[in-house]
Amino acid sequence: MSDHSTAKQEVPALQVEEIHKSFGAIEVLKGVSLTANDHDVISILGSSGSGKSTFLRCINMLEYPTSGSVRVKGELIEMRNHKDGSIAPADRKQVDRIRSKLAMVFQQFNLWSHMTVIQNVYEAPMHVLKIPKKEAKEHAEAVLERVGLIDRKDYYPAHLSGGQQQRAAIARALAMKPDLMLFDEPTSALDPELVGEVLKVMRSLAEDGSTMLVVTHEMGFAREVSKRVMFLHQGRVEEDGTPGEVFDNPKSDRFREFLSGSLK
Amino acid sequence: MHEFLVESLSGVLGGYLYPFILEGMLLTIELAILSLFFALVLGLLGAVAKLSNNRSAKFVAGLYTTLIRGVPDIVLMFIIFFGGQLAVNIIGDSLGLDYIEISEFTAGVVTIGFIFGAYMAETFRGAILAVPRGEIEAGYAYGMTPIQVFIRITFPACVRHALPGFGNNWLVLAKTTALVSVIGLEDMVFRATQAGGSLRQPFTFYLVVAGLYLVITAVSDVGLRWLDKRYSVGVRRA
Repeated sequence: MSDHSTAKQEVPALQVEEIHKSFGAIEVLKGVSLTANDHDVISILGSSGSGKSTFLRCINMLEYPTSGSVRVKGELIEMRNHKDGSIAPADRKQVDRIRSKLAMVFQQFNLWSHMTVIQNVYEAPMHVLKIPKKEAKEHAEAVLERVGLIDRKDYYPAHLSGGQQQRAAIARALAMKPDLMLFDEPTSALDPELVGEVLKVMRSLAEDGSTMLVVTHEMGFAREVSKRVMFLHQGRVEEDGTPGEVFDNPKSDRFREFLSGSLK
Repeated sequence: MHEFLVESLSGVLGGYLYPFILEGMLLTIELAILSLFFALVLGLLGAVAKLSNNRSAKFVAGLYTTLIRGVPDIVLMFIIFFGGQLAVNIIGDSLGLDYIEISEFTAGVVTIGFIFGAYMAETFRGAILAVPRGEIEAGYAYGMTPIQVFIRITFPACVRHALPGFGNNWLVLAKTTALVSVIGLEDMVFRATQAGGSLRQPFTFYLVVAGLYLVITAVSDVGLRWLDKRYSVGVRRA
C-alpha cells in the first residue's frame, strides 16, 4: 500500500480532504483540502488565528479533525466516533506508524532537553523505527553534518543558539527518512539574524527533493522556494496556486491586505 | 567534658552493646530502603493516575493522597498494622486459608511505603507538570507510544524537578521509620530505649541514635547531590 519505490506519482504523498476542526463552539478550520505529491514544497500562509498551524497539526493527528480525511501515501487514517460525540483515530498503532513517516519541526524546536544533540537525532530512529544503535548513530552523524552541526553533536540543547537548536530539530526530522516533513513556523521564534541559517538548510532540503509542508511568515521563502502557496483566512483556503500566480495576481482582497501588511 | 563524653561513648560502643544498636540501625536502613521502593512505585502510579484523563483513576488517586496526607502517621501505622492483619485474615478465611500472620517488618514496610507513596505522588505530579509540553508532544509526533514517551522523555525529564521534593520525602521517611518501634519492631530507637533503660543511661544511647540518623541523612545528601548533578546535565545554570 505504501510501497514508495514503485508507485511513483500514482499515489500522492499526502491527500487531505475537507478538514473541519472546532474547538468548542469555535470552528477553526472550515473545510480545508490539500494534495501534495512527492518532492512538492508547499508554503501555507495566513495571519495568526487563520488556522494554519491547526491544519498542520491535524495532518499528524496532534489535533483530531472534527471531520474530513487524511491519507498518507494513499493510506487513510481511520477515525472513529465516540459515544460522547468526540472523534479520534480508530487505531493508535496506525497513527504511530504514520507519524513516524511525517517528521515535524516545531516553532519552539521542542528538542528533548535531557539528551544531547546526537541523542535527540537517533532517539526516534532507534526506538520507533527499531534501527540498531550503531547504524542509527552513523546516520545521525551524517544528517548533523548536513545541517552543519556535527561539531555540536555532544552539546545539550540549552547550550545552543536558537538557530542551532532549530537545525538540530531539522536533523532529528531528517533522521527519520520521512515521506513528508511538516514545518510549523520554524523561524518564528528566532532572532532575526538567526533566521537565515535555518532557511538555508530548508532551501537545500527543497533542492534535494524533500516533500515539505511549511507554515511560515517568510515571504521570500514562500515565493522563491515553494512550488505552491496556499493562503488561509479564517479557516478557509483563499488562495492556492504557484507562487507566481498567488503573489503576482492575487484573487482575494484578503491576501492583498495580508501582503501589504507583511511588507510594510 | 569532651573527654568524658568520648570515653563514655567509646566505652559503651566498644562493648557488647555496639552490635546491639548497630543491628537496629541495619533494620532501620532495610526498612527505609524497602519502604522507599514501595513509595516510589505507588507515587509514580498515583501521579500518572492523577494526570490521566481516566475519571475513576483520578478519583482513586485523589482519595488516596487526600486520606493519607490528612491522617497522622502513627494513627495510620496502627490502622494498617492491626486492621491489615484483620483484613488479610477475613479474606483468607473466605478462601479457606489458615490464619496468616503478617510480620511486623512487612507491616512496617507496607505502612511507611503507603504513607510516603502519597507524598511521592504529589512530588511526581508537580515534576511531570514541569516538563515542557512541547517535548512530550514531540515524542508523540515522532511515533512513540504513550509508554515510550513516559519512559524515554517524561520520566527522565521530570526527575530533575522531582529531586528536591523527593529528597525531602526520603529524609522524612528515613526518620519516620522510628515509628515502627510502636508495633514492636526492633529498630535502633527501640534498642536504644531498651539499652538506655536497663543501663540507666538514656542520654548516651539516644545521643548515639541521633548520631546514627545523622550519618544516614548525611550519606543520603551526598547521594542526592550526585543524582541532581546527573539529571541536570542539560540544564543551563543561571
